[in-house]
Amino acid sequence: MKEPLEKGKADSTAVLSVKGVTKRIKNRNIVDKLSFDIHKGEIVGLLGPNGAGKTTTIRMIVGLIGMTEGDVLVKGISVRKDFTGAIAHMGGIIENPEFYPYMTGYDNLKQYQRMMEGITEERIRTVVKLVGLENAMKKKVKAYSLGMRQRLGIAQALLHDPSILILDEPTNGLDPAGIREMRDYLKRIANEEGIAVLVSSHLLSEMELMCSRVVVIQEGKLVTVRNLGGSGGETAKAERVNVTFRVDDAGKTKARLERMEEITVLNVSEEKNEVTVSVRDAYIPRVVGALGADGIALYRIEEIKESLEDEFLKWTGGNRIA
Amino acid sequence: MLSFGKLVTNEWLKMYKKRSFFIPYAAIAVVVVMIAYLMKNFGSQDGMPTGLEFMVGVFSENGMGQLLTFLAIIGTAGSVAKEHSLGTIKLLLIRAQSRSKILASKYVSVLVYILSLSLFAGIFSLLVGGMLFGLQAGEYGWVDVLLTAAVQLAYSLIYVTVTFMIGVLTRSTGATIGVGMLLVLIESLVVGLLSRYDIIKYVLFTNVNLSVYMEGGTPPVQGMTLTFSLIVLAVYLVLFLGASFVTFKKRDVA
Repeated sequence: MKEPLEKGKADSTAVLSVKGVTKRIKNRNIVDKLSFDIHKGEIVGLLGPNGAGKTTTIRMIVGLIGMTEGDVLVKGISVRKDFTGAIAHMGGIIENPEFYPYMTGYDNLKQYQRMMEGITEERIRTVVKLVGLENAMKKKVKAYSLGMRQRLGIAQALLHDPSILILDEPTNGLDPAGIREMRDYLKRIANEEGIAVLVSSHLLSEMELMCSRVVVIQEGKLVTVRNLGGSGGETAKAERVNVTFRVDDAGKTKARLERMEEITVLNVSEEKNEVTVSVRDAYIPRVVGALGADGIALYRIEEIKESLEDEFLKWTGGNRIA
Repeated sequence: MLSFGKLVTNEWLKMYKKRSFFIPYAAIAVVVVMIAYLMKNFGSQDGMPTGLEFMVGVFSENGMGQLLTFLAIIGTAGSVAKEHSLGTIKLLLIRAQSRSKILASKYVSVLVYILSLSLFAGIFSLLVGGMLFGLQAGEYGWVDVLLTAAVQLAYSLIYVTVTFMIGVLTRSTGATIGVGMLLVLIESLVVGLLSRYDIIKYVLFTNVNLSVYMEGGTPPVQGMTLTFSLIVLAVYLVLFLGASFVTFKKRDVA
């Protein structure tokens, strides 16, 4: 119990705190001194190319794989020193959840109910309702589709009211509808119940839609931690953004904009009547006002974003296959 | 302790809910009826057993003892290995229960299983034997029945524990059943081959059949006693279970 006290306040709000975790197999560091924190209500993506150590990291967090060095704290409880205490706050889906196929969905959930004190029948009903499996509870799991199994997986993970969900490639093998459903569940869980979520995946577009933050790793090492300002509101006002204006006269627009301070014209496309500029976020209303005052008709304003994919390739050094 | 009981319930349900759960019991019933039928119709009149004698016969190694052990091995093999092959081990081990406790609950449920097999064989053979041969006192009494059953249980227990360990080590149901049965089958062969050497006394196979210490039996090696065999068996049990628990606790589930 010394460590959380020593390391101080920064961690006190973290639901999950990964501290210098290392996994060494035959003198090779599969995961190398990895550290990151996850807070309440946050959906964090663990990203990395194949073989980066995502799965190993996830499995070390939930105790399926032992750590060589470092520790993981869940609400301040060490996974190494007090595994049962720490895991009690975690719910997990490791890859596609596997159940006992010859038992019904209900029997499977009962299995997990018996493994922890204090899970009521009422809780089972609530969770089953949340994932919409009320009508499938009496069916044997072998008759379930992958999507249904995935939902039962969420149900078992939520059964004991965890503070954090740990998901390893949860959308593997799901169809687009299933992926979307999964995403909606996770967002709802994070928003409504304040549960933190850690998701590993290599589906970048998926992560972009789901996560508020991504932790990028490569060859077991932390590459970067990025906030995804997906909702737009979080972009700092002082930050520069790239914006494309569609106007009636690109040449005139370019001339006008070049006269303004703090604007860099990046690209002019005469045939599409588009002008792309780099400008501070707070400056955009003034640009619009200036264009309007000059009688330039404005049809569209679009932010040009680097997709997560572009950034990801930049961070991880292209398509190098590790 | 309450939660451990629940873990054992879980393990028992994993066996019980399988459609194949009743097959071993049915097999025992069929074999008992068959033996009884053959004895009744083709045995010589003066060699007819009584009900209790029939029961002793069923439990003895030459009777159904080996069959019971085989069935127990088959039942045990999947206990840990199936969790790996189904992939359910991942969801099983991320509960607020220590791995040792989970494995212990598996072992206990396996013990309950072999007990239930023996109990069923005993009750069923008593029923069939009583009906066909009557329950009048014969050469054997209840004490003999219980002793034979105990010897048979000890025999099963040893092989089941070995099987349990192999299941933990190999994680493969098929391999576990194969090795488990092979061990039972080569038992007498190994004892025969090694009988010239002194270490034979300490080999598992030599000690596993305790019926040699019952009336009229001769131990495989001169000077071996029941206490000696029990100690040797206990040491082996501790070794097997130790290997199982250490492996299960340390294993990285990938």
